[in-house]
Formats: sequence, structure tokens, C-alpha cells
Amino acid sequence: MELVFILGIPLCLAIVSLFLRRSGVFGILNAFGYLVILCVSLKLSFDITKNVTLFIPSTFFHIDALSAYFILLIALISFISSIYSIGYLASDVKEGAITERKASGYWMLYNLFAFTMFFVTVVNNLGVMWVSIEMTTLISAFLVGFYNTKKSIEAAWKYIIICSAGIVLAFLGTILLYYTVSRHGGINSLNWTDIVSVAGNLDPRVTKIAFLFILVGYGTKAGLVPMHTWLPDAHSQALSPVSALLSGVLLKTAFYAIIRFMIIVNKCVPVYYTQNLFIFFGIISLGIAAGFILVQKDIKRLLAYSSVEHIGIISIGLGFGGILGIYGALFHAFNHAVTKALMFLGAGSVVRKYKTSNMHLIKGVINVMPFTGVILILGAFALAGSPPFSIFLSEIMILTAGFQQGSYTGAILFLLFVGIIFAAIIYHFSKVIFGNKPQAIMVTHGQITAKLSLILLLILILIFGISIPVFFDKFILNAVEIIKG
Amino acid sequence: MFVDILLSAILITGFLMIAAKRIGAIIKGFISQSLILFLLTLLLAYKSHSVELYVVAGLLFVVKVILIPHFLSRIVKKIKVDENLGLFLNPTVSIFVALFFVYLSYIFTDKIVCVEEGIEHGAFSVSLSVILMGMFIMIFRMKAIAQIVGLLVTENGLFLAAASVSGGMPFFVEIAVFFDIFLCVIILELFVYKINKAFTHIDVHRLNGLKG
Repeated sequence: MELVFILGIPLCLAIVSLFLRRSGVFGILNAFGYLVILCVSLKLSFDITKNVTLFIPSTFFHIDALSAYFILLIALISFISSIYSIGYLASDVKEGAITERKASGYWMLYNLFAFTMFFVTVVNNLGVMWVSIEMTTLISAFLVGFYNTKKSIEAAWKYIIICSAGIVLAFLGTILLYYTVSRHGGINSLNWTDIVSVAGNLDPRVTKIAFLFILVGYGTKAGLVPMHTWLPDAHSQALSPVSALLSGVLLKTAFYAIIRFMIIVNKCVPVYYTQNLFIFFGIISLGIAAGFILVQKDIKRLLAYSSVEHIGIISIGLGFGGILGIYGALFHAFNHAVTKALMFLGAGSVVRKYKTSNMHLIKGVINVMPFTGVILILGAFALAGSPPFSIFLSEIMILTAGFQQGSYTGAILFLLFVGIIFAAIIYHFSKVIFGNKPQAIMVTHGQITAKLSLILLLILILIFGISIPVFFDKFILNAVEIIKG
Repeated sequence: MFVDILLSAILITGFLMIAAKRIGAIIKGFISQSLILFLLTLLLAYKSHSVELYVVAGLLFVVKVILIPHFLSRIVKKIKVDENLGLFLNPTVSIFVALFFVYLSYIFTDKIVCVEEGIEHGAFSVSLSVILMGMFIMIFRMKAIAQIVGLLVTENGLFLAAASVSGGMPFFVEIAVFFDIFLCVIILELFVYKINKAFTHIDVHRLNGLKG
């Protein structure tokens, strides 16, 4: 039943947006729709922690704690981003940057985009999962190239081409897996639930190669270095509420697909095979991101590279393994989604006010926009990983897991790069937020929708930074159990 | 026997596309490759008496032999771009690289995947080489259209790979993939128009405004 709401509401909203031409009114309806989805997905998570049997119409869909966790993430970020979008689009329409018609086009794309992301997490068939991940690319490309400027079109083109080419490799991996499933597993099915049940019989050699293709393919979409080259372009050119969705949750849906395959592979190949790959890609992601964050001039690109960093951290968490490592990785996915959404939405307001994203030209945000300035500096500390914010907790978990499992080199490199990035982020943001404001910029009060969404996110970061709620803890542990098999 | 002839024809069309210097030639290469792929699927359908494979073959014909080439030539007509693809590597070197791809795919299939029966072995290594060739076209040709064709060639390779493994993927996965390719080409077409409008050219290597 929950499934109907989660998939149905975005689809209905997409259709309604075609007919309702007043984008302001529709925005409020839209936010209510996502509030309902958020409540439904919370109920879904409660049911799963209490072992209530879920009603799922056919084997085409599959929902367990792992998918419910990602559904909750998508629901949360798309709800908050939909609140923020109301004011963002309204001022765009008022300034004449876009027409009413284009604004309702935005709402349609927004809903279709959310729909495809939800679809990835609930579908059981790995082939259909591939198609829906490709769909997320195709639809969000329009949101990246929304303003039709030279830069945004360039970013959108690179985004589609690189991600589609990458995902071809993921399909090749899926085909190889299907080959060994049908030959050695004895079933002709691509359903994840079926494959897991025969995973022990698969041919280890073919499975290993299949996983390499999957990791590189979906890793392109998840933003792992060296396949990340499209990410800073697309995330910096998209509308800020969409950047929050792209960085906050789209990367994680690709990672969700990798995790699903990892569960299968770990059942027939020794665990250290996937773990070493995750640590390898994670560490180089951290290293490259650290370099680019140090020398970054553009505030949105800085946040995009920070997403590469955090995907690297999630990957390292899975690589260290053990209950603590996997728990840390999943928890970090949540923390990063919330914090990065906060930063992108806050930075979006700043970029809009200063009409530039060059950090040399943005000074004295705290004088110009006191509210956003305070939130941004807190957010910068949260993103860099300082206590008492939630990212600190998950990073400590992952680090501890590294030492516990004996991956000393990995853990030390992790600490080194996270330290560099901490310094770089605080340095850049303190220059942006403090200092003398340019003469031409007037002090204004921000939009109420932007303030509301920022406050909601900050509250979440603080609550989860102090302690993890009992229900949420149990929920993540359920998901960890599924990953450990 | 027929299968082998068709497989080598697929490889040859791949080489034709690698050697092509003009947009028209590369599109024709793609049409012939898709046509041969259609014949191959038809042959497999006839051999296995499977209705689903007939449907897949029909879809392949409609989508890849008729609709997509039609879209591609519509782009060429509408934006009146010059015919040259713009090569980063000349045809001779490109052909040698492609030959190396074929060798590599054969070794990979032989040593690592070790598919057991004859036809699967050949088909799988051909499909791998076609995927690599598609990637090569995407990287070493300048025009945006070449990137679309390159992507489509890799999709052709994927289709062949899926067909070579135990007679194809589950039916509705195939359908979903066709739908996906179709949508992908339409969206890429829209973006080529946008690029042409904003930049007044479609040379991908000159899209370098975003750095660092």
C-alpha cells in the first residue's frame, strides 16, 4: 500500500503540473504531496523495524530495510527541496528569468525525477533497475541545462554522455552476472531476490569481472574518481534545489545499486575482494577531491567536489566492513544528504544575491544575509566533520572500523585527506562569510521558504549529531543485516 | 554458418564506422550494423521458435533501423553543419586500434569469461569489440552527432552480448532497454539543437567553458 503512495504521488503531481499553469499555487500543492510521501516512508520504516509484513503487489517490486532506508532519504531531501523551490522559482518568475510555463515545466521534471529515483529503490529486477537509473540521468539532464546558458548546456551534455557511456559498462556487468546465474545458478531470472538465493553457486571468476564492470559503471553515476568528471559541472550548473537533490540523493541511488550487487558478489567471492575495491576507489576519490577543494574558486563547484569526497567516505566505510563500517557508511549517506542539501540551498541563496558563484567576489555574507550567513558557517563546520554535527559521528565510526579491521594504511590516509579537506572548507567559507561586503549589495531578508528549509535541515543535523534516535538506530541495523547477508 | 557470416558482417560495419570521415557515412554504417543485428535476431528467433525473439527483432528493426536513423538525419538537415566528423586520430591508425580491440576482446572472452559453446564464444567477443569501438568513436570524433552514434554502437554491442548469453535477457528487460535507447536519442537530439543554438557549432572538443 505504501508503494502506491510513494510511486503514485510524484506521477500524479507530474500530470497535474501539466494542467495547472500557476506555478506558485502548484508549488504549495507539491510540497504537501512530498510531505505525505515523507510520512508514508516514515511509517514504512517503522513497520520494517517492527517486522510487520508489507503488502507488495508482485515480485516485480521488492522492499526491505535497505530500500526503505534509501526511500526515506529521497523522501526527506525531495520534501525539503520542494519547499525551497517555491520561493526560488517565484523570484525567478518575478525577475523574468523564466516564464510561468517554464516554471510548470520545472515542476513536471522535478516530479518525474523523484519518481525515477524512488523507482530505482523499489524495483526487484536488476535489468529494470539499470533502465531506471539511466532514466534519472535523462530527466535530470533537463534540470541541469534548465537556464539554457552556454555553461549549463555544456554541463548537461557532458552529464548525459559520460553517464550513459559509464552505465553501458554496468549493463555489461549485469549481462555477465545473468550469464552465470542462468548457467551455474540454474534460474533464468534477473530478480535480486532470486539471484541472492542461488548466489552461492555462481562462478566466482565471472562474478568478479561482472562486479568490476558494475562498480565502474554505476560508480560513474555515483561520482567515484576517476569517473567523476561530469559531476562538478552538472552539480554546479543545475538549479540550487536540484543540486541539493543531485548531490544529496541521486549519487546515493547509484550507490544503492552497487550495494545490491555487492550483496550478491559477497556470497560467492571472499569478502575482501569487494572491500579492497571499495577502499581503493574511496581513497583516490578522497585524494583527488582534497586537491580540487584546496584550489577551488567557485562555491558550487567546491560543494560538488565535496560530494565526491563524501561518496569516497561512504565507499571506504563499506570497504572497511564489519558492522561498524557498514553502519557508518549508511549513516554517512544520510548525514551527507542532509548536510549537503543544507549547503547547496544556502549557497544557492548567496549565489542568487551576489549574482556570481566566484568566491573571490562573494564577501561578508553574514552582513548581507545574517540568517543564511550563520547557517552557512555552521553548515561548513558540519560538512567538514566537526562535532557536535552528525557527519563527525559517522566519520568516527568509519575510522574506528578501519582500525578495528586492521586496514591501517586505509584508515591513516582517510584521516589525512579528511584533515586537509576540513582545513580547506573552513578556510574558503570563512573568507566568504566574513569580511567586508561589497558596496553594491543591499542588505535584505531572505525568503521564508528558504529559511524554513534551512532550519529544518539544521535541526536534523544537530539532533543526529548529539545522538541517534533509537528507532533510527534499529532501522540502520536492519539494513546492515541485509548487507551482511 | 549463417551466424558466423552475420557476426563478421557486424565487425566489418564496425570497421566502416571507425574509418568514416563524414557524418553521412557513419550514419549509414550504423544503419547497416543495426540491419545485420536484426537479421541475426530473426535467425535466432527462427531457430528457437520463440515468439518473444520475433517481437524483439521487430522492435529492433523499427527503433534502430528506421526511427533512430531518421532522427539522426533530421539533425543533420536541420542544423546544416559541415559534413566532416573531425578526427583526432586518422582512419589508418583508428583501424589498427580497432583491430587491437578485436584481439583484446577475443583474448578476454577466451581466457577469462570462458563461455563454453561455439556460437556464444564468437558472438560475445564480437559484442565486446563493438562496445569498445563505440567508445572509441565517442572519444576520438569531434562532432556531437558522432558521440550519439558511438553511444548507439555500444548499445548494439550490448544487445549482441545479451543475445549471446543464454538466448537473451528476460523479455520485458529488452523492451525497457529499447524504450530507454529511444528516449535517450530524442533527448540527445534536443540537446544538439540547444548546443547549436548557444554555440553555433556542435564540436564537442570546443565545449570547454567549465574547468577545475
